[in-house]
Amino acid sequence: MAARTADIRGILTKNLSVTALFMALILGGIIMAVCGYNPFEAYGAILQGAFAGKKAICQTLVQATPLIFAGLAYTVAKRANLINLGIEGQLYIGALGTSVIALMPLNLPMGIWLPLALAAGMIFGGLYAGLVGFMKVRFGSNEVIATMMLNTIAENFVEYAVNYPLKEEGKSIAQTAKFSEALWLPRMVDKTQLTVAILIAVAACILVKLLMDRTRIGYEIRCVGQNLQASETAGIRIGRVMIISMLISGAIAGLLGGTHVLGVDRRLIAGFSSGYGFDGIAVAALAADSPIAVILSGIIFGALRAGSMVLNRTTGIPTEFIDVIQALIILLVAAPLLVKEILRIKNKKSEKKGGRKG
Amino acid sequence: MSSQITSILVSTLSMSVPLILAALGGVLSVRSGIMALGLESMMTMGAFCGVLGSYYSGSAAVGVLCGMLGGGVFGICHGILSVRYKVNQVISGIGLNLLAVAATTLLMQLLWNNKGSSPQVASITQDVLGSPITYLMLAAVFAEQFVLFRTKFGLRLRMVGENPKAAATVGLPVHRIKYIAVTLCGVLAGLGGAYLSIDHLDMYVRDMSAGRGYIAVAIMILARYNPIMVLFCALIFGFSDALQISLQGYGVPPQIMAMLPYIVTLLVLAFGVRRITPPAGVGLHDDE
Amino acid sequence: MYAVEMRGITKEYPLVRALDQVDFFLREGEILSLLGENGAGKSTLMKVLYGMCRPDAGEIRIKGEKADIRTPKQAIDLGIGMVHQHFMLIPVMTVAENIVVGQENTKGLLFNQAEAEKRVQEMIDRYGFGIKASQKVSELSVGEQQKVEILKAIYRDAEILILDEPTAVLTPQEVEELFRILRDLKKQNKSIVIITHKLKETLAIADSVSVLRDGKMIKTGMPVQGATADELAQMMVGREVTLGVSRRSKKVGETALLVRDLVLTEKGRTLLNHVKMELKKGEILGIAGIEGNGQTELIECLTGIRRPDVLDVEKDGKKLGGTPGDFIHAGIGHIPEDRMTRGLILELSLQDNLILGYQDRFQKRGILDQKRIREFSDNLLKEFRIKAPGSMAKAGSLSGGNQQKVVIARVFSEDPDIIIVAQPTRGVDIGAMEYIHERLLDLRDEGKAILLISADLDEVKSLSDRLTVMYGGRLVAEGKPEEFDDMELGLLMTGAISGEDREVQRHGSTNS
Repeated sequence: MAARTADIRGILTKNLSVTALFMALILGGIIMAVCGYNPFEAYGAILQGAFAGKKAICQTLVQATPLIFAGLAYTVAKRANLINLGIEGQLYIGALGTSVIALMPLNLPMGIWLPLALAAGMIFGGLYAGLVGFMKVRFGSNEVIATMMLNTIAENFVEYAVNYPLKEEGKSIAQTAKFSEALWLPRMVDKTQLTVAILIAVAACILVKLLMDRTRIGYEIRCVGQNLQASETAGIRIGRVMIISMLISGAIAGLLGGTHVLGVDRRLIAGFSSGYGFDGIAVAALAADSPIAVILSGIIFGALRAGSMVLNRTTGIPTEFIDVIQALIILLVAAPLLVKEILRIKNKKSEKKGGRKG
Repeated sequence: MSSQITSILVSTLSMSVPLILAALGGVLSVRSGIMALGLESMMTMGAFCGVLGSYYSGSAAVGVLCGMLGGGVFGICHGILSVRYKVNQVISGIGLNLLAVAATTLLMQLLWNNKGSSPQVASITQDVLGSPITYLMLAAVFAEQFVLFRTKFGLRLRMVGENPKAAATVGLPVHRIKYIAVTLCGVLAGLGGAYLSIDHLDMYVRDMSAGRGYIAVAIMILARYNPIMVLFCALIFGFSDALQISLQGYGVPPQIMAMLPYIVTLLVLAFGVRRITPPAGVGLHDDE
Repeated sequence: MYAVEMRGITKEYPLVRALDQVDFFLREGEILSLLGENGAGKSTLMKVLYGMCRPDAGEIRIKGEKADIRTPKQAIDLGIGMVHQHFMLIPVMTVAENIVVGQENTKGLLFNQAEAEKRVQEMIDRYGFGIKASQKVSELSVGEQQKVEILKAIYRDAEILILDEPTAVLTPQEVEELFRILRDLKKQNKSIVIITHKLKETLAIADSVSVLRDGKMIKTGMPVQGATADELAQMMVGREVTLGVSRRSKKVGETALLVRDLVLTEKGRTLLNHVKMELKKGEILGIAGIEGNGQTELIECLTGIRRPDVLDVEKDGKKLGGTPGDFIHAGIGHIPEDRMTRGLILELSLQDNLILGYQDRFQKRGILDQKRIREFSDNLLKEFRIKAPGSMAKAGSLSGGNQQKVVIARVFSEDPDIIIVAQPTRGVDIGAMEYIHERLLDLRDEGKAILLISADLDEVKSLSDRLTVMYGGRLVAEGKPEEFDDMELGLLMTGAISGEDREVQRHGSTNS
């Protein structure tokens, strides 16, 4: 028994990110209990909503899709030691780019039009993020503040676009017209919102992994991210590398926006993102900046989201708990020392108990 | 016309007060070597706790105190995470910002069954010229300037922020000084938040700070981490905010006008704050 | 009576035992040299004494009283002062502020700047240090900054003074001055420890010597009188060493690098003032000088990291310019002065580090050739005898000497025509140092042109075929290393005499 607890402790100390995830879930449960809800009931409902049956699993994957994109976008920038808090803005601008192509009366075959629209979103999102990279390189601007400002600007601009130039004619609601059917992302399972977007997201993660490990630019991004001065000395054009990594990061965010408008809403609506950009930080944090781990991490958070929707319907427990838990995950994953300390305290207690029993 | 100018000026001041308070907090934090990206969370908590205090006590003054307390608690959290647990200060700040928005929204849902806004509560004046917080802010500007540059504590704080290792080798209690600075930072930002919710308005609205914490960081950098300069730099932002409000209804789409303060911040970031170096020890942990 | 007794001090780090049952004694009123190679544990031992590092075991007594020192504050209260190798000063603050902070000795909450300056100035004058209390530390020379550090300790009534590698950055004159100060302090019955790896200085100033090797105390409190340098060296390294071997170039070829003019100004200050020099194939040109006189800037301009105002430089008759990448491609290898910041990326693998700067040679159309990189790295690790668990190990996990070998392996293996080497042996053990010197001389004999910049006077003097001195952004004198004596070099390095003065003196003396 004692040996087994020691084993468990060993595993927990080795996988501090996973431990942090569990601690955040436990902490969230305690908070629920304090607020007068039954955490076991809540987590039971979440698990059921996320995994019980085909429909639930589809819903988890639907929720996971934007989270994987966002986590990946954050990870790419983070690899170059840049904090891209602007994913939220970039996905709006990306969605705008996709929508502009989608609303043109091009009448192209789906095989051309759809990729074209997504590419436009990637370019829009990429350039919007590239602007931050450019400002940092050229003017030394703090990218955290710049991205926060650009987020608000992008949200306002999309709101303006759907209220004025892109508004569906003759309607009072602030949204664009429904896109042509050729632009709807194909569904993978009938009567669900699960589209091929999830496949695109997974493919993007694998591509980024290959880019980082196998290509020169990936190598240079890793160098710049770890040591700016050594990279400069080695003749790497650090400004260029930073801007490129922001371009890639923004393009992925743009893809998020594009797949959302083509796959979920099938039109552009203001304020469609429920803070995906910031969810991405949690996803990336849990994945410890590994593009492949982002897939798994995205699915975990997707399950939380999918489960929480059921949670609210069936038990009346507010879904906002999930946002709190998500913020706790970011903080705990970033604080391995704190996690270790909590583990030590728990362990001391259990040792005492064990001693008494013995 | 002249009444319009007066109203813009009053509105400028009114928009500036919370920014100045938060930026003053940020100056203390950065001068002690801790990045101030958590200001947004401290303002959010200040705004929410202000309303909470006022709601339960019926007194706006108690509300203000609660707001300062709420901001201070998040300040300590940021301090403990970044000093004791050596968390990356950017991540700590952002994580707390997300936590603050999530926690306040949850509490609104639990307490008032409304995610969007709180009920109306007792507020101070809703008039910036008559508000005690305005005068408190002015006093804080000069008090902070004096403390930083004329007292022993200020000297030690600046030393800790420049080089924590050096400060430790002359026997300064580096951690204690940082905790004090970042707690005061939270209290000031909390006061700024409380101004938003129970002085400027009389309720809490979801995500009330709306990026003001980040604008305050930009102000603080532009002011070269100097309290008196903060006073003047903040007015630029307050003015752009006031302008966009008063220009609404002149045929320009409101969404376009709403971008103004953020565009101003962006331009300042690009062209205004080059070659401003923060204290050398910002972001470092003791063993670096 | 012992001022300090340390018994059985043990300190373990995850991979090494930094201190192993170390006993250390310091007598009252003596100057003791704590001798040992880089990484032997000298600094760690003294950090334990100063409360900056907690030992795993051991006991400390100060003046016979048992002491539990957990923080520098407690050490200060016990009368211990420490002058760190990397000065603990705040450049943007004044001398007075740096000295009094924490013990302002004024009543109330206020800090009275004028009074503090007055008090500190009195102290400066009493010791004849010749600096101003109101000056910003950033305006002081390295030697003056060290005096501020010493004053910091004295101001806190230190009876026991520890100096960590105090002469590393000083000119011979400044070293003399420091020794004078230390002898003065000794007369006031202060007890002093000097951490050093320099034998010459140990013999010159210390009363006794304690030798650390690989975390173990080899010799405790041996009187210096009667000891010889060879004897001490052997104790320090654990085997016989031949100090200062060198050989001069047999065949100096044509010009490899011609610097016609190089000017760099920044914020109105001239950092490089019309530098001119010529580097020939098959020679090592050494640049001596105190840090901060333009050496770093010179290196950065000659490797493309900085863009100078005027850059008129030719390699084999072709003009040089552009980005650091262009300089690397033009065949200029660069071994940076600080391997941690510019030389290596500690978080990445040895494979990644060994191709750094030359990654273009290991890729096709943007795709890296993994197999070639692996083979290449494995070969280099073998060839340069780099001790590492494998080529996927992180660079940061290696010892200082092996890290430096990684940088050197990378640059040498790419066969550059010109190699710019800065502080090649800083912080490495003697074994690695001998190896690096040998490789440099080999490359020189193969006909490479080498520019050597080092703060270690002995190193530049022994390796260089030709020596120049840098002062105030100019190269002020040039000649064969054996033509300069140490005192003269010191005067040139501090600008006390100029190159022309020297010429005049020399001609004057030959005439008479």
